[in-house]
Amino acid sequence: MRDALKAAWKNLRRKPLSLAGLGLLASFGFIAAAAPLLARPAPNSRDPYLIPQDGYSSDPRRPDARHWFGTTEQQYDLYYGIVWGTRTALSIGVKVVFVSLAVGILVGGLAGFYGGWFDELLMRLTDVVMALPSVILAVVVVTVRGPGLDNVVLALAAVSWPSYARLVRGDVLTVKEREFVLAARALGAGDMRILFRHVIPNSIYPVLVVASLNTGAVVLSAAALSFLGLGAPVGYADWGQLISMSRNWILGASGSPLAYWHTVVIPGTAIFLFVLGWNLLGDAFRDILDPRQR
Amino acid sequence: MRRNLAPLVLSLAFAVACGKKEAPAPAAQPGGAHDKTTFVHVTIQDIDSLDPAWAYDTASHAIILNLYEPLVQYRGSSMSELEPLISEKVPSVANGLVSADGRSYSFPIRKGVKFHQGGEVTPEDVRYSLMRFMLYDRNGGPSSLLLEPVTGLASTRDEAGKLIEDVYDKVAAAVTVDGDKVVLKLSKPFAPILTVLASWAPVVSKAYGASVGAWDGSKETWKKHNNPQKTSEGFHSRPDGTGPFMLERWDSKTKEIIMTRFAGYWREPAKLKRVVVKGVDEFQTRKLMLAAGDADSIYADSLAKPLLESIDGVEVIDDLPRIDMNPTIFFVFKIDVQGNPNVGSGKLDGEGIPSDFFSDKDLRLGFAHAFDAEGFIKDVNRGKGTRASGFIPAGLPGHNPSQPNYPFDLQKAEQYFRKAHGGKAWEKGFKFTIAYNSGNQPREVIANMLKRAVESINPKFQIDTRAIQWSTFLDQSNSSKLPMFILGWAPDYPDAHNFAFPFMHSSAKYPQLQHYKNAEADALINSAMREIDPAKREKLYKRVQAIAYEDCPTIFILNAVRYRTQRKWVKGFEYNAVWPDSPYMSPFYTVWKE
Amino acid sequence: MAKFVLKRLAMLPLVLAGVTMLLFGLFQTLSPESRASLYIKDPRQLSSLEAVIREHGLRDPFHKQYLRWLRKVARGDLGYSETAKMPVTEAVRAFFPATIELSVLAFIPIMVLGVWLGTLSAVHKDKLVDQLSRFISITGYSLPSFALGLILLMVFYGVLNLFPPGRYSLESDIVVHDAAFNAFTGLILLDSLLNGEWALFVDALRHLVLPAATLTYITMALLVRVTRSSMLEELGKDYVRTARAKGLSEAAVIAHARRNAWIPVITIASILFVQLLGGVLITETVFAYPGIGRWVAQAALQLDVPAVMGVALLTSSLFVLGNLAADILYAVVDPRIRFK
Repeated sequence: MRDALKAAWKNLRRKPLSLAGLGLLASFGFIAAAAPLLARPAPNSRDPYLIPQDGYSSDPRRPDARHWFGTTEQQYDLYYGIVWGTRTALSIGVKVVFVSLAVGILVGGLAGFYGGWFDELLMRLTDVVMALPSVILAVVVVTVRGPGLDNVVLALAAVSWPSYARLVRGDVLTVKEREFVLAARALGAGDMRILFRHVIPNSIYPVLVVASLNTGAVVLSAAALSFLGLGAPVGYADWGQLISMSRNWILGASGSPLAYWHTVVIPGTAIFLFVLGWNLLGDAFRDILDPRQR
Repeated sequence: MRRNLAPLVLSLAFAVACGKKEAPAPAAQPGGAHDKTTFVHVTIQDIDSLDPAWAYDTASHAIILNLYEPLVQYRGSSMSELEPLISEKVPSVANGLVSADGRSYSFPIRKGVKFHQGGEVTPEDVRYSLMRFMLYDRNGGPSSLLLEPVTGLASTRDEAGKLIEDVYDKVAAAVTVDGDKVVLKLSKPFAPILTVLASWAPVVSKAYGASVGAWDGSKETWKKHNNPQKTSEGFHSRPDGTGPFMLERWDSKTKEIIMTRFAGYWREPAKLKRVVVKGVDEFQTRKLMLAAGDADSIYADSLAKPLLESIDGVEVIDDLPRIDMNPTIFFVFKIDVQGNPNVGSGKLDGEGIPSDFFSDKDLRLGFAHAFDAEGFIKDVNRGKGTRASGFIPAGLPGHNPSQPNYPFDLQKAEQYFRKAHGGKAWEKGFKFTIAYNSGNQPREVIANMLKRAVESINPKFQIDTRAIQWSTFLDQSNSSKLPMFILGWAPDYPDAHNFAFPFMHSSAKYPQLQHYKNAEADALINSAMREIDPAKREKLYKRVQAIAYEDCPTIFILNAVRYRTQRKWVKGFEYNAVWPDSPYMSPFYTVWKE
Repeated sequence: MAKFVLKRLAMLPLVLAGVTMLLFGLFQTLSPESRASLYIKDPRQLSSLEAVIREHGLRDPFHKQYLRWLRKVARGDLGYSETAKMPVTEAVRAFFPATIELSVLAFIPIMVLGVWLGTLSAVHKDKLVDQLSRFISITGYSLPSFALGLILLMVFYGVLNLFPPGRYSLESDIVVHDAAFNAFTGLILLDSLLNGEWALFVDALRHLVLPAATLTYITMALLVRVTRSSMLEELGKDYVRTARAKGLSEAAVIAHARRNAWIPVITIASILFVQLLGGVLITETVFAYPGIGRWVAQAALQLDVPAVMGVALLTSSLFVLGNLAADILYAVVDPRIRFK
């Protein structure tokens, strides 16, 4: 594995695009870490993720010295929302990847390891979930569970585990025939021990890489759910919600069609750069993983 | 194929070159809003059904009242004065058409009124229309508005959903034809009956109904047409009324309904040839259509007003008084604390609230004094509307302007909070959640204003606010899981009874959800309903409003106003707060374009 | 091969049963009162809550409700969609053509641009062209479609007034509903040509430009990537080296390799097309485009169970059939592939 990482790094270094991706991610990592310094929460605020509101007026205000990025409708400060929204995006990405990976590894591992009707059953289940357009399924899950970030995470995990399960299953099928597994079995190790100590640890690296590089796509989907009104509560620092707040303002005021450009362009750019970072990195990694290009 | 491509490319280039701003000259678009005989209204509402016995939403109702005509209607913008329509006279004790005991109403039916699909209105058609309206009785429909005063029954079915056998006989006996007249007998005197008939149960054609799969008027078949499927009867999408407009097309795919002038209308035909009501969800698109003259009037909420005020050729008609009581804040006297996320620990220990939290009057009064209604009107309603003095809105008979309401006074609020629950509430503090249905901004602001004000009184008071979906809202309010909820009431007909009953009578839904009951209020409402003398009724309602003030089960906020946005070339718009979905919709009969 | 196809088709009912049970079960986790919210929209109707629950049998156990739905489906009755305000079958007929139109109009540029950029990338691997074409496709892939859509609307509708949202304008609407207009297919672009309505054709096209462009840009990356890697594989093969050694022109070599690189591209493309048909939910919502996706989004938000179930049946069938079609195409393109 260490060799693989070394090779990957070598590969990365030669690609300016992937370096740019790394740079973007590092900046977002910094913004997330330094959020309390970059955008100070109000002293009496109970939850720093709630964007401070400067009045109740419905019309957004353009960027100025007081609000660097302007305000959205109902005067939520965009700069604050963007900075703290970085944390939200990262946490959604990490949580979804973690949960869906855990489920995927478990299902795929068990299916591949035991085979037979059990395998058949689990794989048909993945077929069913994959046959539904993932947006529809995700929307239904969030609607049923009620809007909120936790349920967004749940919904996205619910639609993304099957592909991981398939990947893991494929690898488990080959790994379980390998010598060290057979050796462990000959030594009398139990099923669970073999599965979790020998088979899974040796089958999950590809899926780990694939899944973590999906973080960008996950954040996009989460933002899309927010856009449909299924995301964070009103006023919570979440990029998708900031964009959906701009929906009524894209045609501007009479006589000045671009009056409220900032309400959509600024949060849109934030999501774009974040996802771009992941995708630039992912693109390079996919090359490394693609056996046809070795 | 190749030859065909040239004009395509050309026209494409042309379209791109001109864009929409220099769109073809107005005259080139017959049927659009630029046509002086076509009216285009753009709204957000969806039409549910065109069957007068099914429709209970304002969008459908507003269309139905342009296609069909009830027996009587409101005169101009008056909410109390009626004028005859299908009935030749408005029944009154004075003209002998209302019996002295107030239980029998006679309607002399006008002759020569034609249906769109042919045939003239007969008294038998009117009888059929009234009976069908009552016997149709779909779940969640308007039938009980008439069924209840006529038969004394709230529904044609019992609690278990089984048909009540003698309903038909009761209804048939109550509506009779007497020569040219139709006579309606009520089980008990019901003062607002004419106001009910002024917007509900319009006249439909019996012969046509039978031909499109609706009830044929016989006793044998009525059960089959009780609570039917929405689309099973032709009236759903193929209306046949006597109104000034007839249906050209209703397309739910494009959310569009088009009506054309009925040439055979019994009065002067309408001035407009065509009326288009179209659904466009995005406010900005509606606004653009209005500015471009593609729409003659649009729906827009109070927040959008500044965006509409300076458009050329567009006028904003403001301060049109409403008669709905919306929003209002309801206290729930008995909360279900079992597994309820809204009440914290479920005890009065500073980390939650107990089941009987709001049954303490001092506590309710504390909240009532902590809500800044004037501030709400100023900030959210841009200063429009006036402070409500009770549940009967200004402009309706029975409204009592001298009835006090609780002022915003945090010191007073503190006094009450200190007394509440024997001082325990003050000492321990409390914590609960105010939920409001998501997407409703005024309700969201109310929740936040209450939160901020109450929390400022005592740091131990904690209130969370949370938006929940309508489905969750229904569920939790129905199972007494919401300690406090914010909803409103839009009346079915403009009578004090239609406010007193839903807000204060213990057999109405709101008081049931609140677990609130005041026997005196119940009795007063019952007798006011049967009282025909307006002066005596007014006195009874005065007392009910005083009770509402003393008990404070509900906070009434404002007498709302709305504004209408239309092209300046629109003339003849007549505002009547009673009209469904007014001021955006109105009778198109009086409207024309210059 | 026939056996393989039959076997796969036999899976269809199983998948459909699974999909519908899954969705139905999800909705069923809500209380009957919540599910009644589809029918109780107004406080005035609150007192009918219990009656509505009873009428629709919302308190019945899961299997009873599911079987009731299934029996109706067997009779060809998918129920009534309260969000579309029409029966589900009718709504599918009304909205699906719009989605087909949009999908096709997006699919063509996705294919053309994707394959072109992918080939370009592969031929000039690691050169500036490669980096550039990959960058372009990755940026598209990283854009939130709704933000892109809103910005496009802001510029091309708000400022330039070129490409409006919706499916066609009010004027076209009158043409479409004219008695003289024959709705042969429900596809406006086709119907307008068949009826000789040029203005309508142009109008419909103008409404399609932005959503189709958005879809193209955000989905193209996938095809670029697949084409590129497939081409790289082919270009690395012996026959290409031989051909080059023999002095074959570079263009001819590339054409040759491209033919062989088609297989994975076709697979991906067919899946992509089915995905477009099944759920361009966000794009349709942003552009107020009256297709299946926009409808199902509204339906799901309002717990319109019959509508969501109906759309799920449609899209899942498409998915299974689309995959099958991809496999068959695969075999046709590459005779070496044998069906197991």
